[in-house]
Amino acid sequence: MSAIIQSGQAGIGLAGLAGRRVRLGLIRDRILLFAVLVGGWEVLSHTVVDPLWISRPSLIAERLVALAASGELWRNTQRTLLEAVLGLALAFAVGVPLGIAMARYKYGHAVAEPFIMALHSLPRVALAPLFIIWFGIDLFSKVMMAFSTVLFIFMLNVHEGLKTIDRDLLDLLRTMRAPRHYVTRKVLLPWIVPWLIASLKIGVGLALIGAVVGELIGSSAGLGWYIEKSAGRLDTTGVFAGLVLLMAIAVAGNLVVARIERRFSSWRPS
Amino acid sequence: MSAVVALRQERSDSPSALPAKIAIRHLSVDYPSPDGRPVRVLQDVSLDVAPGEFVAVVGPSGCGKSTLLRVLSGLLQPASGTAAIDGRGVAEASDRIGFMFQRDTLLPWASVEDNILIGAELGPKRVDRARLGELIAFLKLKGFEKHRPHELSGGMRQRVSLGRLLAYEPEIFLMDEPFGALDSQTKAAMGRELLRIWSAHQRAVLFVTHDIEEAVTLADRVIVLSARPGRIRLDVQVDLERPRDPKLLRRDPRFLSLVERVWGALDVQPDL
Repeated sequence: MSAIIQSGQAGIGLAGLAGRRVRLGLIRDRILLFAVLVGGWEVLSHTVVDPLWISRPSLIAERLVALAASGELWRNTQRTLLEAVLGLALAFAVGVPLGIAMARYKYGHAVAEPFIMALHSLPRVALAPLFIIWFGIDLFSKVMMAFSTVLFIFMLNVHEGLKTIDRDLLDLLRTMRAPRHYVTRKVLLPWIVPWLIASLKIGVGLALIGAVVGELIGSSAGLGWYIEKSAGRLDTTGVFAGLVLLMAIAVAGNLVVARIERRFSSWRPS
Repeated sequence: MSAVVALRQERSDSPSALPAKIAIRHLSVDYPSPDGRPVRVLQDVSLDVAPGEFVAVVGPSGCGKSTLLRVLSGLLQPASGTAAIDGRGVAEASDRIGFMFQRDTLLPWASVEDNILIGAELGPKRVDRARLGELIAFLKLKGFEKHRPHELSGGMRQRVSLGRLLAYEPEIFLMDEPFGALDSQTKAAMGRELLRIWSAHQRAVLFVTHDIEEAVTLADRVIVLSARPGRIRLDVQVDLERPRDPKLLRRDPRFLSLVERVWGALDVQPDL
């Protein structure tokens, strides 16, 4: 048995070595692709297309530096980031207990299911005007937008995860007269971790969508607001600067989730 | 209360001299079927298990062997009849019941050590490092303390399940084909380990299996259930001295005639 495991590890070691070589090449080629795209864009804006329409990478870089210097970059980025993170956190805090309740109270869930699915299918973007009436044009309405887009992801994933839980394992703990809190702590919560990570993966992007849509409809700060304001003045450089920053937030969010996933991915339900 | 009194009276005129540890009286169990009508899986089963007695239950698949254990562990309610442990209903019984499934029901994210510690945390006393080490050595799991279930073989996983069971220090063992998924050598080795544990602690064991030779090798008594709905067709004492050597038993005429009798009582019919 131990021999099998050791040879298995050796196999992984070899794969890791080859992997490193492949990874270095991959990074080089990605930088190359980025340079070609951005360079092509730059050339295009100098030759064929008026930069009024597509701006120009060098102009966007200049704008980002200017925004950073004036403090506006951080003010707007931080605002959008805060809205998305608060919305995501709130969706987690509300969605996970609701998902657990859906699994525990089967009849209640059966009663509520069509309504949950109706709300889930509603394009949440259309709620933005209502949320601005209800929660004002400041931070809170955007947090609620992000919250409402992500909530169902957590609810439905946690519910799905709990439905697949190993019944024999629960029965065994019942025969050992394990108290409910023990079962929750030792089995239920660890069991849904992979589903929580899957929810987070989708949720990061969705929370950002919710926040930005809210900002586009009505706000006084944030990257969505900056993009909307720039577009109103035909300032495509401003629009692209905002898009670059949004992309940076999304990439950073995905990296954080990937880290969390690596930390917990040693176990997965089959 | 009156049920308890009734049980005591019945017990006094049962043939066994010892008071029963487990007393099952006229037990019938129904399962809901897909079309909504209940299907009877056990029919009027009465059975006593004495303290320290090792009883094996065999029968065709679907005859309600596992159902019997599920009723005794309180996971399932009978349609009629009673199941009692030390004269008390299974829900009120204070005895710790050690249940073991055919599948190892380990926490997939937890190490061997942590899985075994589950038994200790729910059991009567704390298990310290030294005792845990002893248990791991006894189960031949040394060096694998930090491994997770998916890194172990089937036999090792089942030994971890057994370790969790032992750390719980059960007063009754209910085993539902615990070695059924293992290859025959591993199965024989696990059987020997189980007998070693059993002879050291002398707990009542109800051991469900479909392997007749395993049943006769391990048990003091073999119960044969009929096809569904399960009724007791044979209840036979295994008068073979212990310790038993499986290799020698295979040539012992008494062993062979017992296996023959159990085979005869099993009406094995192909499922239609």
